[in-house]
Amino acid sequence: MSDASISPHARSGSLYWAIQARRNIGVRGLFVVVLAFMVAYGFLFHGLFTGSGFAKFTQSWFPLALVAMAQVILMLTGGISLAIGALVSLGAVIAATTMTGPLGVAGGTALVCLVGLGIGAATGVIVVRLRLPAIVVTLAGSFIIAGAALLVLPRPGGAMPPWLSDLLAGNTPAAFGVLVVVVLLWKLYLATPLGLSLYAAGENPVGAYRSGVPVDAARIAAYAISGLLCTGAGLFVAAQTGSGDPIIGNSFTLNSIAAAVLGGIGFLGGQGTMRGALAGSLLLSLMISVMFFLGFTPVAQYVAQGLIIIGAVAIPQFRMRAR
Amino acid sequence: MSIRDAGFLSRSRILAVVTSRPFLTFAIVALVWIVASFVSRGFGAYGHLRYLVELAAVIGIVAAGQTFVVIAGGIDLSVAAIVTVAAVGLPLFAIDADPTGLTPILAVLAMTTAIGLVNGLGVALLRVHPMIMTLAMATFLQGLLIIIAGGSAVTAANPLVSWVGNARPFGVPAGILVWVVISFVVLVVMHATPFGARLFAMGAGPLAAKLSGVPIASTTMAVYGISGFMSGLAGIIVLGMNGQGYVGIGDPYLLASIAAVVLGGTSILGGLGTYAGSIPGAILLVTITALITVVNASPGWRSILFGTLILALLLLSGREAARR
Repeated sequence: MSDASISPHARSGSLYWAIQARRNIGVRGLFVVVLAFMVAYGFLFHGLFTGSGFAKFTQSWFPLALVAMAQVILMLTGGISLAIGALVSLGAVIAATTMTGPLGVAGGTALVCLVGLGIGAATGVIVVRLRLPAIVVTLAGSFIIAGAALLVLPRPGGAMPPWLSDLLAGNTPAAFGVLVVVVLLWKLYLATPLGLSLYAAGENPVGAYRSGVPVDAARIAAYAISGLLCTGAGLFVAAQTGSGDPIIGNSFTLNSIAAAVLGGIGFLGGQGTMRGALAGSLLLSLMISVMFFLGFTPVAQYVAQGLIIIGAVAIPQFRMRAR
Repeated sequence: MSIRDAGFLSRSRILAVVTSRPFLTFAIVALVWIVASFVSRGFGAYGHLRYLVELAAVIGIVAAGQTFVVIAGGIDLSVAAIVTVAAVGLPLFAIDADPTGLTPILAVLAMTTAIGLVNGLGVALLRVHPMIMTLAMATFLQGLLIIIAGGSAVTAANPLVSWVGNARPFGVPAGILVWVVISFVVLVVMHATPFGARLFAMGAGPLAAKLSGVPIASTTMAVYGISGFMSGLAGIIVLGMNGQGYVGIGDPYLLASIAAVVLGGTSILGGLGTYAGSIPGAILLVTITALITVVNASPGWRSILFGTLILALLLLSGREAARR
């Protein structure tokens, strides 16, 4: 009796882990490279294994991890966003102008989240319902969002409550804790009907639609979540710098795509895993830090970054063809 | 067949032209010009309109390369960096023995074409996604630019470059003349040569094109090479118009070239479109920018207006067919 009730559970459990292990196959090489960079970084920067060193390192990685997730959610549904950087800036200026005002930290956070969700959902509706190409809509959208950020705060300024900056960007690994929570929430989301539809909508939209998958809803939800992650990253960046800057997020657009691609996410939708993207963003963050500690000039950094990204994409292609 | 035989000006032929995307985009440009010249004094003056087209020429030339790449199913995100490399790199090739200034121009064009060919090599042979390959190339060139320029502006003491940027043979700016020639060549190559036919086949379905005998690798490389050449040419004209080259001079042309292509009705997914649409697309973009300047708003509102107008125009010309 008890045996019968346990065994299906155990079987489904082992099935779950078997599938998870199989999804690691494509990113195993990446994990090894990340580990190697991590060792190199620990060797160059001995403080990594102290509490505050770990906190500082995860803080430099955190916003990149969030925007990489934001980009990956869209790429999994077959979309893409060129407005990531503008949204990060908007989140940062809203946080820096509201949190020390009458709204307070709670109100400011709520506003940042609402704006991200709202703009993301609006982008999603335009792309999905009006059938416009995502790359061009988000390109035009980036102008609108960047303009809105300039209206909120025409020049760098504003302020963040010092205690919040200390909490998020101080000597405690709070940012890492938040990231763990975000990843757990992502796991939970993948178990909901909308989350399950995400891969199906990206892999084969027509087939998914005809099988009764809510393709449009899944794609719009993905844009909304992506917007939320971007403005959230903006809030963190504002806490890090202690103020707002309407163009602070610009570099995140490119880096989010680079991290996603390093993590093995395909442009056609439905290919890749979030763990790969997180590893990709970690690799990018480590790469920048290691090159900085090795005393690379900015020129060499640009050149090395370009070569590593192309290599990371081209090598698996060669291996696939050799097979 | 009988319809086609009914004569050049048959009703269905006229209808097809009038409802085509390029014609619609031209109509929008004309409408905006007419309305704007009534609303704002001086907008409709010949000198002002000529100035707008002169500015559009640079976007149009970059967009020519971009149109080739997009129709073939790719995208080139390195055009801005290549424009800057051309504008900043030109003085490096200056040779005292050549007073006409033709050698440095040819050298720069050869260099930017080579950069484009490397893009094509990565896309065709390494199978790197075009967006990644060209983004990585842009990052790479950014490093190169810091070596070349070191952050300072360079001045061009090249007679031919200044002529292209400033001369007005027969009252028409030389930049526009170059654009007209380029447009003619591009349209012929795109719509009246085997290469053009292969281009559309490749963009519509790479596998089907490959199985039908289209040389995918060499066609892809040619397309990115053309884009590199066009960006280099645009960089030389910009250098002539500005008199100075600096890091960042090419930045506006990335978004502008893609927007011009899409506003002209070319599908960003590839296989469908024409450069005849990108031409009015480029003029439309410059016109929008000029109008926003007339409104005299703050930078924030200007940016919002620009984005909203592009989005609104996209609704007219950029929609994809429903797939389900």
